[in-house]
Amino acid sequence: MRATLVVARGTSVYLVSGPSAVREFPGARDGPFTADRPGRGAPAELPPALLRALGQTDRAAPLVACGETLCRQLAAGLDRPVRRADAAAWHAALEALPLPDPVAERELVLARARAGLEAALRSPEEVLVTLAREEERLERSVGREERAAEAFLALPGTVLAEHAHAWERTRGVLAAHHRDLVARLEAEARRTVPNLSAVVGPRTAARLVAVAGGAAPLARISSSRLQLLGSRRRPSPERGPRYGAIYLADGTDDVPPDRRAAYARSVAALAAIAVRADVWTHRDVSGELVRRRDARRDRLRRRRR
Amino acid sequence: MRAPAAFKASPVSPRLGLRERRDRVELWTETVGSEPAVYGERWARVDGRSFRGFEPSRSKLAAALSRGWTGPVPLAGERWLYLGAASGTTASHVADLLGPAGRLYAVERSVRPFARLVAVAERWPNLLPLLGDAKEPERYGDVVPIVDGIYADIAQPDQVTIVLANAAIFLRSAGGAVTMALKTSSMGRERTGPVHLRAAEEALSADLVLAASVRLDPQYRSHYLVGGRRAGARPAAVPPSHPRSPPSRSGPFGRRFPRPRR
Repeated sequence: MRATLVVARGTSVYLVSGPSAVREFPGARDGPFTADRPGRGAPAELPPALLRALGQTDRAAPLVACGETLCRQLAAGLDRPVRRADAAAWHAALEALPLPDPVAERELVLARARAGLEAALRSPEEVLVTLAREEERLERSVGREERAAEAFLALPGTVLAEHAHAWERTRGVLAAHHRDLVARLEAEARRTVPNLSAVVGPRTAARLVAVAGGAAPLARISSSRLQLLGSRRRPSPERGPRYGAIYLADGTDDVPPDRRAAYARSVAALAAIAVRADVWTHRDVSGELVRRRDARRDRLRRRRR
Repeated sequence: MRAPAAFKASPVSPRLGLRERRDRVELWTETVGSEPAVYGERWARVDGRSFRGFEPSRSKLAAALSRGWTGPVPLAGERWLYLGAASGTTASHVADLLGPAGRLYAVERSVRPFARLVAVAERWPNLLPLLGDAKEPERYGDVVPIVDGIYADIAQPDQVTIVLANAAIFLRSAGGAVTMALKTSSMGRERTGPVHLRAAEEALSADLVLAASVRLDPQYRSHYLVGGRRAGARPAAVPPSHPRSPPSRSGPFGRRFPRPRR
């Protein structure tokens, strides 16, 4: 007894009962893959004609569907067990299928790509990463403009002075824009990674998340790697870097320069705990971590080498 | 400006142009897309055909071709699946090789490179971007049909398993081709590159008749291009090998980091 294979492709669902016996059941024109369901492996709603056709097939013959979603939908629509296709069955179904229409296929894939991209970029984590990268870039350009302005000789009474005046106003606008951006970034960081923001400060937290490429990747990183995250130098056993983005953490300024590596090490350990709490347990552990961080800072300030 | 030298069609594919220089042979692909350049590559127009420079320093496929790769190459009119397309540097050239009648299904997992891939796809009519993880072929299995070849550049510890899983679903059973850039350093440091290569070749040869692997040092350290075809009727004649250009001692900018001495 031959199994009936059901496979979704594009906007249609196909019923494959043999190498040359393929029936197509077109779905709604733009039904399957819209912005709110980018690529789940099956149309949003199965074509009623398909369910009718499947209802007429032999109930004793196994029904095999390609893809998890399609299996669930069929099982719900037919009230009958549906087996999930393995790779070989899926391959057999694809080999039997006709080649897709090139124009419709391209339209569908591009629409789905754009929708998937937008959905991914909209997540709070990605917004935080984008904001953090923008802030870093803007900070660099504010600094560059300031340094250039300091070196600029504006001779009074010349057109150079006029230029310097206009430039100063522009720099003021740029600095204000940077301040606004930092405020937005910090608010976003406090919302997305609250524990980490409390331990290292919201701006540093955002930078750490940006370097790791998201909060979840950051939560999988060990504290020793977190300490070096964002460093431009290569780790090496002899003269490796001692800190990366964590150097900008709250409290680093209060520690004597020769003890900052020790402080970075301790803060990295606390930050690793904090971000794991943010990503997995969602508990507020910031009070305890901040207390430990401050105690460590005070010890390092008192200690003599 | 000098008049552009004539392109000679490569024996590998008529869409791959060769230009003889004094010390090397340059590779160019006849483009399907439109300007501007995807990643700053050179464009040249000769006899009404547009070509894009295919630099061995930018693409592992180009590096392998210039080192005498005899394995499968995307041919005009075929459908290929590209795993790990990133921002579309090599993917755009693979799409060029497939030509306007071909199709390239390019899978990429990370969001930001994918945004650039979508921008490339808007200008490359035969490039179809899919946001998804190559480890979960079910997620894009509702769009990708049977393909003639799979090109993979996924630096994962289980890269061979991932490619074989995709081949099991999507690759044509007669003569289907697999070409993969194997990054041995992401397969673990406890074994050396050649050992990883042998293990990968053994795993792949269960499904494919392998071509000779090509080592991609020094531009791509601890990388190999590995691939072959499934037994059965092939779509076209066996392409002869590409003329070799002498290997350079280092990458285009010299070695970036001194090698550790052992």
